[in-house]
Amino acid sequence: MEQNNKPVKYDLNFAREIYNLENGSYIKQCMQCGMCAISCATREIMDYSPRRLFNLIKLGKKDEVMQANTMWNCTSCCTCKARCPRGVPIIDVMHDLKKYAIQNGYADYPQAAFYKAFWAEVAGRGKVFEGGVTARYYLLRGLDEVKKAMAMKDVGLKMLKHKRMPLFPPKKIKGLGNLKKIIKKAQEIERREAR
Amino acid sequence: MEKKIAVYICTGCGIGEALDIDALSKVATGEYKAPICKQHGFLCGQEGVELIKNDIEAEGANTIVIAGCSSRVNYDVFSFGPDKIVERCNLREQVAWCHPAGDEDTQMLAEDYLRMTLAKLKNLNLPEPYQVENMSKTVLVVGGGFTGLTAALESAKAGYQTVLVEKEATLGGYVGKMYKQVPMKAPFTELEENGIPALIKAVEDAGVKVYTSATLEKTAGAPGMFDVTINQNGSTVEERVGAIVLATGAKPYDADKLGHLGYGKYENVITQAQFEEMAVAGKLEASKVAFIQCAGSRDKEHLPYCSAACCIESMKQALIVKEKNPEANVYIYFKDIRSNGQYEHFYKKAQQEGVIFIKGDVTEIAENDGTLTITADDHTMGTQSEADEFDLVVLANGMVPSAALGDVVEEPAQDEAAAAAEEPKAQAPTIIKANLLNLAYRQGPELPALKYGFPDSHYICFPYETRRTGIYAAGVVRAPMDMLYAQEDAVGAALKAIQCIEATAVGQAVHPRSGDMSFPEFNMTRCTQCKRCTEECPFGAINEDEKANPLPNPSRCRRCGTCMGACPERIISFKNYSVPMIGNMVKAIEVPEEADEKPRILVFACENDAIPALDMAGLNHLEYNPWVRIIPVRCLGSLNLVWINDAMAKGFDGVLLMGCKHGDDYQCHFMKGSELAEIRLSKISETLNRLGLESERVRATTVNIMDYDKIPAMLDEFAAELEELGPNPMKDFQ
Repeated sequence: MEQNNKPVKYDLNFAREIYNLENGSYIKQCMQCGMCAISCATREIMDYSPRRLFNLIKLGKKDEVMQANTMWNCTSCCTCKARCPRGVPIIDVMHDLKKYAIQNGYADYPQAAFYKAFWAEVAGRGKVFEGGVTARYYLLRGLDEVKKAMAMKDVGLKMLKHKRMPLFPPKKIKGLGNLKKIIKKAQEIERREAR
Repeated sequence: MEKKIAVYICTGCGIGEALDIDALSKVATGEYKAPICKQHGFLCGQEGVELIKNDIEAEGANTIVIAGCSSRVNYDVFSFGPDKIVERCNLREQVAWCHPAGDEDTQMLAEDYLRMTLAKLKNLNLPEPYQVENMSKTVLVVGGGFTGLTAALESAKAGYQTVLVEKEATLGGYVGKMYKQVPMKAPFTELEENGIPALIKAVEDAGVKVYTSATLEKTAGAPGMFDVTINQNGSTVEERVGAIVLATGAKPYDADKLGHLGYGKYENVITQAQFEEMAVAGKLEASKVAFIQCAGSRDKEHLPYCSAACCIESMKQALIVKEKNPEANVYIYFKDIRSNGQYEHFYKKAQQEGVIFIKGDVTEIAENDGTLTITADDHTMGTQSEADEFDLVVLANGMVPSAALGDVVEEPAQDEAAAAAEEPKAQAPTIIKANLLNLAYRQGPELPALKYGFPDSHYICFPYETRRTGIYAAGVVRAPMDMLYAQEDAVGAALKAIQCIEATAVGQAVHPRSGDMSFPEFNMTRCTQCKRCTEECPFGAINEDEKANPLPNPSRCRRCGTCMGACPERIISFKNYSVPMIGNMVKAIEVPEEADEKPRILVFACENDAIPALDMAGLNHLEYNPWVRIIPVRCLGSLNLVWINDAMAKGFDGVLLMGCKHGDDYQCHFMKGSELAEIRLSKISETLNRLGLESERVRATTVNIMDYDKIPAMLDEFAAELEELGPNPMKDFQ
């Protein structure tokens, strides 16, 4: 956390933007008790606990919030959501924050690239092809990462040998067009329901 | 009444196995010549009770001794009408269940307890209830605010004539001046219209006699017969009432003392009351508002306590701002949000509506170009924060009970002789001249205060009950509270007032000894006008005439016996509780000779907490020292030093007093009992030393009901220390 002596100012514009996300308005009813923080399994590797993240949102600290790894390290285990005394659906808020971060160009974390690769696979094929996700991921991460990927080739070969990973992409699902319609409809609802 | 004693020994619950019942019967029939003595295996069963009833009818038995379980159980089973004396001898919880069966010491203990019970009967008579003359059943409510109106309405609805006195020209009080009020019903999220006009109408429709612009000039008398002088616009009216509900409310804390938060310096820094005025006048036009909580509360420099209602009131006002202008930004700076109970929903509602809550201390308020800037230590961020462009800053300035507004009554200067004697004395209760009741009581004109000027009450067990019987404090004059709590308080206090009236009508004590019909009687021919009883009575029950003669008011009395313990001449006694009665019990105990090596420890235990704790030790079968002999007392305040003299002269090795915790967070039902007992003890230690007796032999301790598991160790420790001192040298002289 920053420790300078200049008083911070509360900037409500960023908070309003976040409150307008699908589950964003729930953040308003956070009372900073910290139950999410003590319930979180990955709290130790997060920059800020969910509680602190929500407080930063309230204060309008856009850069701190968007550059934090908190939402990327959320495993969606649901413990915090089940325990929150104020009924904040924290994992859903985390999903919203991840989406918001990607849309606003804060996608430096490897998890962000993985989310994108995974989504592209599913949206384009209707199902997941491990080879495809891996390839997209490394390409998104850049050339240096491809070199690292080569170091993993033994693991990949073993997985192929044990038929843990198919060599060729599977067929697309039947009715991919309908799936795309479903997704489109869901996105419409999401936009409509966001307050 | 000619007593015909019948003794019944129950052999159930393990008593029969633990004791030699025939030997025990011989104590009753032989030593005490009881005409009837029977044993039964299940005395509280139908057959056992029939056995007793038959003897009452056929033999004319009228004084029944039940040697079995504790008096705390089966009291309804062993009740044979108001004209029969029933005494219980506790052979179960205090003998059979906590001492080894068949042991010689256990048998001696049981026999002593039976002797004590039988000896007690000698000076014990049936109480005759005290009758108030020209009894009034009217309830007087002082204060016509939210609490007062609610109390008046409840008492009128219960069918009691009710009189309401209000200082202002109109009813309604602080809440009456509000724009809207906090939610009073589920789901506790919606603002409500001010309910005072409807409440005033209901009070008027219910036939309550209302005096506005009126104060109490004088309150004389006692429960059932309070004579109050009401001064209305200069003319006086007399009313006789049975009980009083004090609901005079509170005043907002003086905001002029909050200059550090900009009050008085900037005109847009206002108080919660001023906010309400603005809202009512329709002058509320602000787009950025800050509320500062604990402005003066929870602050050593100002009010040390939490004023309980301000958090909820600020949320309400924040929502009013939002209601008028949904685009307005509202900040609430707080130490801790204390939205108790159902008001948690209200807090959540305020958050959902977009009110911003900032946990932190405001360090500075400054003006810039006509708007206000707030600098604060934000505790959740751990940094300084700044927010500007506020049009309005509202200080949640807390409340001061109306009972605290006035000068403290100074204790009359001691005359030189008394000062020279430097006798240790219990501190007199603080009484503040708040001009609310103007009691014609010897101990002062208002209710004694405990902390911060709030009236003293036994807040754990009897929250509304003040230290003046028949006067019940309710609402924010009693303690800081929100409206929902005040409503409950008003209903509770009105019911307590009615309970007091009905109990007084039949000559019973109200609380905590509800139903007790005995009261102290004074043998005035031997009174030396020492004033101890009038000073020490925790309830101010005893007035004084010009010659310092005590003037008892039995319906004010709570029957603790503090006056009886205080009286050096021993002229105060109850029909069924007196100095000679306990003295006979002490004398009835057999103290073995020194050579027998069986020490004896006398325990005076308070009936309210120590006796239940001892019973609990028995229920849990915790074994404790067999040398102790326990005498229950109404309160340690009734301890008369002559009993200790008797015990030491009789050869007891030690005396232990078991009372309740005292101090600011006292647990004594009679406020000062155990404290007074300790003060009395300190006076006697010198005398003991002079007689060659170590003062360590007599000591006081405090227990509460949950300490039952510590009792065995407590008694063993005392016994071990007495053993080191050696036997009482007076032992073989008796």
